[in-house]
Amino acid sequence: MTDDATRTLGKGSAPPGPVPEGLIRLYSMRFCPYAHRTRLVLQAKGIRHEVININLRNKPEWYFTKHPFGHIPVLENSKGQLIYESVIACEYLDDAYPGRKLYPYDCYERARQKMLLELFYKVPHLTKECLVTLRCGRGCADLKLALRQEFCNLEEILGYQNTIFFGGDCISMIDYLFWPWFERLDVYGIADCVNHTPALRLWIAAMKQDPTVCALLIDKNIFLGFLNLYFQNNPDAFDYGLSC
Amino acid sequence: MSGGSARSLGKGSAPPGPVPEGLIRVYSMRFCPFAKRTLLVLKAKGIGHEVININLKNKPEWFFKKNPFGLVPVLENSQGQVIYESAITCEYLDEAYPGKKLLPDDPYEKACQKMVFELFSKVPPLLLSFLRRQNKEDCSGVKEELHKEFSKLEEVLTNKKTTFFGGSSLSMIDYLIWPWFEWLITLELNEYVDHTPNLKLWMEAMMKDPAVSSLFIDPKAFRGFLDLYLQNNLEACDYGL
Repeated sequence: MTDDATRTLGKGSAPPGPVPEGLIRLYSMRFCPYAHRTRLVLQAKGIRHEVININLRNKPEWYFTKHPFGHIPVLENSKGQLIYESVIACEYLDDAYPGRKLYPYDCYERARQKMLLELFYKVPHLTKECLVTLRCGRGCADLKLALRQEFCNLEEILGYQNTIFFGGDCISMIDYLFWPWFERLDVYGIADCVNHTPALRLWIAAMKQDPTVCALLIDKNIFLGFLNLYFQNNPDAFDYGLSC
Repeated sequence: MSGGSARSLGKGSAPPGPVPEGLIRVYSMRFCPFAKRTLLVLKAKGIGHEVININLKNKPEWFFKKNPFGLVPVLENSQGQVIYESAITCEYLDEAYPGKKLLPDDPYEKACQKMVFELFSKVPPLLLSFLRRQNKEDCSGVKEELHKEFSKLEEVLTNKKTTFFGGSSLSMIDYLIWPWFEWLITLELNEYVDHTPNLKLWMEAMMKDPAVSSLFIDPKAFRGFLDLYLQNNLEACDYGL
């Protein structure tokens, strides 16, 4: 069980106290791909942290003091400093904490990773649209075509670089920033979108071997249980799979 | 003259040669606010550079090899490495070159600058849509949205109690958002910051910055460019040369 296996806080809940010294707090939701990025970085760098899950359909009033629109993920440190937007949070963690650096040291290579992130920007929206469309019983052929095109662009990069990972021969920040949406392809019902992209499939296989990715891999049945409840507008969806 | 006074290169032009050692090249366009960000950082850090202007209404085929998106700004160094997306080019320059650091070293302060950058992100498309509509349809809806976005930025300055968005001295975030506020001045739309006094003071402080003032666009040239650009005229990018 991952360390974010706690019940969500919703409307009427008491605001949490200050973050204890030596820890950083993440406001999250167990199935959110954006928060997943930040959890991957916390795990990869071995950063001591606590997770507070937020009920996104029934947000606590106090949560809007952490983020003006109540979005996740948000980081809060023991000085009460708040950092949000998943990419900014991930970069902050890489800068602020010692040990393994996820972004490259070379400034050109760093810039390359940021340019690659731009290439990825349509993927989250397209995968979500596919999920919603399929769940509503409609066909999503056009969306899948568009998604396959985006995957072709990423395939081209891997082909051109001739490396396993997007940052080179070792896993790095950009791989973790992409990963959450690829982990969800199967459970969203669109795993066939990588049928024509062999390098991308090799990358997915290599990612699944990574200890950090493995440690946070979400059980397929639990994810499906969450999705079923979520699309029935059940407010308990976010706590699905938690014991008691 | 702002940012390289050379005529732009268009379709059919020969691709430029490699970048000479000791220089960095920026593919730009004299009136592009995104490219302006990169030019400001080059100026502020005193980085030796050459400018190649691109005709954005008639792009050279070779330019897509530099940036598959075909947009400016693009940096190219003497090793042939290419960097694009304006914010990425600015951060690259700050990291790769010595001298005054424009981004803070402190991870939280750096994250704050990036959060303000996100806060600003609706302004460029809003301002562009406002400019496209002027004298045509009623643009009061866009005006109201702009006011809302400016109020968010005002709140940042009010909370920080500093002149600039990064603190008491000018830094990266100020240069990144400046080009759109320069538009307000050149188009005489200063009244848009009447309800945001700290933003107004910030603009006045920015105008005193040597990099900002040396790259300030000539209002007549900008107006001339804008009229032609909105009509998709192929000569727009070279207006005034």
